[in-house]
Amino acid sequence: MRRRKLSVIPYLYILPVFVIFSLFIIWPAVEGFFQSLYRRGIIVRADIPTLRAHFVGLANYFQLFQDPRFYNALWNTLLYTIFAVPLTIAVSLGVAISLQNKFNGIGIARAFIYWPSMISPIIIGIAWRWIFGYETGILNYLVRLMGGKAVPWLIDATHAFASILLVSVWAQTGFFMVIFIGGLNAIPQVFYEAASIDGANRVQRFFRITLPLLKPTTLLVLVLTTINALKVYQQVVVLTQGGPGRATVFLVQNIYEEAFTRPFGVGYASAQSFVFFLMVLSMSLFQFRLMREER
Amino acid sequence: MQMPRSPRSTIVFAIRLLFVVVLVLLFFLPMFWVVMSAFKSETELVQYPPRLFPKLWTLANFVSGLKFGNFGLFFWNSTVVTVTSTIITVIISTMAGYAFAKFDFPGKTVLFMIVMATLMFSLEIIMIPMFLTLKQLGLLNNMWGIIIPPAATPTGIFLIRQHMQTIPDELIESAEIDGAKEGSIFLRIMVPLSVPAISTLAIFSFVWRWNDYLWPFLVINDDSMRTVPLALANFVGQYSVRWGDLLAMTTLSIVPTLIIFLFFQRYFMQGISTTGLKA
Repeated sequence: MRRRKLSVIPYLYILPVFVIFSLFIIWPAVEGFFQSLYRRGIIVRADIPTLRAHFVGLANYFQLFQDPRFYNALWNTLLYTIFAVPLTIAVSLGVAISLQNKFNGIGIARAFIYWPSMISPIIIGIAWRWIFGYETGILNYLVRLMGGKAVPWLIDATHAFASILLVSVWAQTGFFMVIFIGGLNAIPQVFYEAASIDGANRVQRFFRITLPLLKPTTLLVLVLTTINALKVYQQVVVLTQGGPGRATVFLVQNIYEEAFTRPFGVGYASAQSFVFFLMVLSMSLFQFRLMREER
Repeated sequence: MQMPRSPRSTIVFAIRLLFVVVLVLLFFLPMFWVVMSAFKSETELVQYPPRLFPKLWTLANFVSGLKFGNFGLFFWNSTVVTVTSTIITVIISTMAGYAFAKFDFPGKTVLFMIVMATLMFSLEIIMIPMFLTLKQLGLLNNMWGIIIPPAATPTGIFLIRQHMQTIPDELIESAEIDGAKEGSIFLRIMVPLSVPAISTLAIFSFVWRWNDYLWPFLVINDDSMRTVPLALANFVGQYSVRWGDLLAMTTLSIVPTLIIFLFFQRYFMQGISTTGLKA
């Protein structure tokens, strides 16, 4: 490492990013915590009694315990996470393994599967809403063609929830497939050769060699998919807008609605954000620990 | 997969090939169906039974979306935001990545930890106070409000730092002996040698900003300042969806990222498998 003498130069190089981080991440994060201790709305004016901010301590946090809207959003988010994480891992690992062997056109096959990861969640939502259409959607056409009854993909609560899961897994598979392929390629080939000589079959090789040696990659994917799942919102914007009823309202949407559509909602929404942050934080700390162990 | 030799392995080969083809179609057909639909007339869109390819190819949906849906303006807005933000991201991340890779200074470890810690505070988490901050700074309903805040990305700084650490210190030292100033070491040595990492960052940044929905959703209120994803989401929110226009504009909106993907596919795959990071 060069430049041991004290100099202002490195600080000048990092100044721009730190100005942005301070103004747009550190300051709002701190501000958000303090706002959670107040009862206040979007507009605060000391001269108008109904627009004043009151310090209420932890009252906003206590309110969480008896708020059906919050419970609903929390439950939906956890349920979504419980399904989305294993599904995404299983599908992307399965795809990675089937596309691991080199053959002509493998690059193209991978590119096709990766491509949805490059498309905005909004666009993916529009595409699938078109596909899921009840009367004229192509999926229900195919269902009828095979003699089935039209499926209420986005209309009925359970189906809507499952549809969002399906779309999320579909959209994320390519990204995690690439990470898994990286992990699979890092496993030395000699292990497989030795196992084959000892007479291990395909299934045994998968459970005895691939899975254990892939553990670091799998844990990384586990953390990333969990954080993604907790933050689920953009898929919903176009597909269901939280409906039917509040069946697909997740934490992020609930926080937004709380802050912008309810009186005195900003303080309360900030408390929800803080709880949400603690959930993501625990996963992130886990991720950092994993990254350190790997080094 | 090896070339088949015996009849049995021919069958195994065929089954595997079929599996891969089905897999690819599962991921390709949904978007392909949307693109094909965009070229159909309003009547053909609801025709029963549906056909994959339009019977009569028409650009009517594109014309009407751009003209009456005002999407010409939205595409311009998206372009301005994406390009400006990407330029800023590349410049400031390269500077910061250089400082973290090649300087030793008090507080460096802590400052780098702060950079990585900002990963946790994604917009979903600090949405509400961010709105208040932007309001205080007069950045609400302002293009700079969606350009500047997301321009500093820990992923970008990390990417550049990792790359610059591999550039030997001797190069810098010999340039110093030759009397090179700090600025020219950065611009004439470090930047040219970091072109692969900088390109990767530029491409990623372009795609992130082009696809961004949450920032414009929070910041922009004025119809004329909407970016494409925001405008498209709004289009769906309207009472009766005009599917023809919507699908045409959707198709148009994936063209820039598709072109980038076709040209720089390898950067993406490598970028992800080496850093494992996103946004």
